[in-house]
Amino acid sequence: MAEQKASRRAPARPRRGGAAAARPRAGAKDDATRISEVLRAHAKGDYAKRLDPTSVRDPGLAAVARAVNAAAEQAKVRNHEMAARMDTVRVGVDEAIDAMVKLVVQGDLTGTLRLAVNDAALTPLIAGVGQVMETLKRFVKEIREAAIQLSASSAEVLAAATQNENSTAQQATAVHETTATMEELKGASQQIAENAQTVATIASETLSATHQGEQAIRAFMEAMEKVRRNAVEVDEAISKLSRRVERIGTVVEVIDEIADRSDLLALNAALEGAKAGEAGRGFSIVAQEMRRLAENVMESTREIKNLIGEIREATHAAKEASDGNKRMAADGERLGGAAMASVSGILTGAQGTSDAARVIHLATQQQRSATEQVVQSMAEIEDVTREAQAGSRQATGAAAGLAGLAERLAALVQRFRAE
Amino acid sequence: MSADRQLLLFQVGARVFAAPAKDVRRVGGSLLEHPDDGVPDTALGRPWEARRGLVVDPGDGSERTVLVDGVLGLRAVAAVQALPAFAREVMATQALCGFALIDEVPTLVVDLPALVRERQRGPSAAGREERNDHG
Repeated sequence: MAEQKASRRAPARPRRGGAAAARPRAGAKDDATRISEVLRAHAKGDYAKRLDPTSVRDPGLAAVARAVNAAAEQAKVRNHEMAARMDTVRVGVDEAIDAMVKLVVQGDLTGTLRLAVNDAALTPLIAGVGQVMETLKRFVKEIREAAIQLSASSAEVLAAATQNENSTAQQATAVHETTATMEELKGASQQIAENAQTVATIASETLSATHQGEQAIRAFMEAMEKVRRNAVEVDEAISKLSRRVERIGTVVEVIDEIADRSDLLALNAALEGAKAGEAGRGFSIVAQEMRRLAENVMESTREIKNLIGEIREATHAAKEASDGNKRMAADGERLGGAAMASVSGILTGAQGTSDAARVIHLATQQQRSATEQVVQSMAEIEDVTREAQAGSRQATGAAAGLAGLAERLAALVQRFRAE
Repeated sequence: MSADRQLLLFQVGARVFAAPAKDVRRVGGSLLEHPDDGVPDTALGRPWEARRGLVVDPGDGSERTVLVDGVLGLRAVAAVQALPAFAREVMATQALCGFALIDEVPTLVVDLPALVRERQRGPSAAGREERNDHG
């Protein structure tokens, strides 16, 4: 090595010709040059170049030449040894490589690496290959165990994925059915909401009509009250009229009595005048006139009595009519009261119905909104479920693939014998 | 004209009779004014209302009232015609004087005192019962 280093330090000039010893030349400078050339050749690996020391005139350079020759010779020997060793190592490496290739191809990790050649330089290689084999052996064992676990786990995953896919499919079916049901419910909710709106409207109209009916009944009862008061007033007027007519009748009776008495007096006067004969003629005439007057009065009183009778009949009829009106007014008030009570009950019920209808309408509106939201949510859930179902199928496929890979891995690992 | 020809027209029920004015003392009121001496039921019939009473002397100085429905007045006639016997028999009374044409209508002329006596002699008990009823 030192010789090699020395030879590198002094580059030699290239010489024409082959590896023959340098021809002696005159001068130290030429010797150095020849030495340099030899060193240069040695630096290039041409250790066959020598320098004849005897051709070197300078004793120092001659020593150098001898050293150079010695170095070259040693280098050559070393190179030869190295080459032999290299060949040995190459053979060993080839054997190692072949062994490893055979190991990989045949998968037999049970043995150890044994080379036909032996070299210290191969020891690390043999150790390394042994470590590699051990590592591979351990690796194969672990991979085999992992493959077994992976196969089992992948089978479990596949089963779980299949179960999940089935469950997801069932869930998708259920979600779809639920979505369809919710769609129907949405339609029904909408119909119910519309009907509730109609009912609320009708209830409101009924309430309004009931209020109008109540007002009409109140007006009717007020009218009946007026009729009753009018009937009472009429009754009082009739009573007053009857009393006055009775007074008139009494007066007429007196007048009639007076007329009757007058007639009677006139009759007696005429009778006396007739009995007196001619002497009573004038008396008879006066009596006759007086009787005529009395008859006229009696005629008038008869007419008055007839009128009084007619008035009595009329007042009686009016009294009966008034009594009938009062009874009808009383009946009307009673019926009106009953109707008012009924209408009040109806009004209360109508108010309650209207309020309930309004509450129901609001509730149905909220229900419809909620149903629509649920339907929308169900649609989203259905989309998600479909995606999940697709994902489940993918997972199942992946699990199946993984199981297949696990089987392939196990099959691959089976090729390697570690024990 | 004399008092014998003066006739007092009176009505009993629906029929009109006449009586000599001289036989009638006076014309009275209704039955209520003559509760004791009223003669409501005679051969002339039963009055409806008995609004008048003809006060006559039956011949014994007393006064009896023949109840009638009305007194129509006095009429002077030329003569009182005699009434056939069968007419009296038909009327079931002997107290008829005859008949007179008054307003061209034959009207029976009644002897009121005789009528009262006839009533008294006839169903006197019935007459008393009638008085009791009306009393």
